[in-house]
Amino acid sequence: MDRNQIAKWFKEPAKMANKYSLHAIYFCTGCGIIEVPPVITSRWDAERFGVIPVATPRQANLFLITGYVSVKTLRAIIRTYEQMLEPKYTVGFGSCPINGGMYWDSYNTIKHLDKYIPIDGWIAGCMPRPEAIFIAVIHLWTLIDKDMATGYIKYRENYKSYRRNQEMALGELEWPPLFPVSDEPRGNEQ
Amino acid sequence: MNKSVKEKLESTFKDIQVSILEDSRIAVTAENHSVLTILRFLKDDGFNHLALLSAVDWIEDNVFELCFILTSYQRDDDEYSDSQRLHIILKTTIPREKPDFQTITAIFPIAEPYEREIHELFGIKFEGHPRLTPLLLEREYEIPPFRKDFDTRKYVKDVFDKIPFVEDKDE
Repeated sequence: MDRNQIAKWFKEPAKMANKYSLHAIYFCTGCGIIEVPPVITSRWDAERFGVIPVATPRQANLFLITGYVSVKTLRAIIRTYEQMLEPKYTVGFGSCPINGGMYWDSYNTIKHLDKYIPIDGWIAGCMPRPEAIFIAVIHLWTLIDKDMATGYIKYRENYKSYRRNQEMALGELEWPPLFPVSDEPRGNEQ
Repeated sequence: MNKSVKEKLESTFKDIQVSILEDSRIAVTAENHSVLTILRFLKDDGFNHLALLSAVDWIEDNVFELCFILTSYQRDDDEYSDSQRLHIILKTTIPREKPDFQTITAIFPIAEPYEREIHELFGIKFEGHPRLTPLLLEREYEIPPFRKDFDTRKYVKDVFDKIPFVEDKDE
């Protein structure tokens, strides 16, 4: 840890603590989850980077979407994402969440995941190596440092559009909106 | 061993074609009204494991083909071993205009999820099935999506590509 880092720690302790203790929700989507067990265990050991898997969304602030997203999975992803505490960061892993990948003309696969929830970073590839997760984590550190990982703020501000897109894909949603969707002026936020 | 099964099948049923594909594989083609009888006969003969029930859409011939794959996990007359295990592929066709078939859950209860899946993806009705409710899909489809005349590209263009990207308000 250099002096520059110490200065940062005193200046913004909460942000630095967030940055170095990313808790990833252990949510399995598609085939990319096969890369996650070696990442969190002894061979690549994600704890070196402060990334640790947790069991429930209420303890997590990093969401790895590890593969293609079917319509049914999208429902679970939205519910999980909305339960996570802010600040929360999302990383799409593999080419399928980006634009559908090899499922580009599938009848039941979501093509662009960022139409439904905000994504802070993408890892391209099919499959990406486990090292790509660490590159993504380091990029995410840079983004957090520069206050650019603002997906959760974008979700809050554009919630109406996100909710409309979710309803277009899934039909009627059985859970209430997370943020107010009416046109009234918003209250004191942030 | 497969010779004896072939002879037994041919002597019992009239309108079937039996062909030996490999040492341990037999293909049987039958009319759709005699399928249940053949299945019951084979189950009594020791083929008590339904490994797979699947459907194929032959759109040029205007038929759906149903494939029942049966194996003998444990036969009484020989010891269990992989080399001796027989696979029987029972095929039958049903017309595309009237895709109805009898359920086989009375003979093989494990066929229930397979029949639900085929009902959902191919639109084949299985009469007598206890619950033909949706199994995998979330959305409603006009044509069941595994039929050959279902245009996936057009469906994607009409549904998923129409959903707009979320623009940031500041920009």
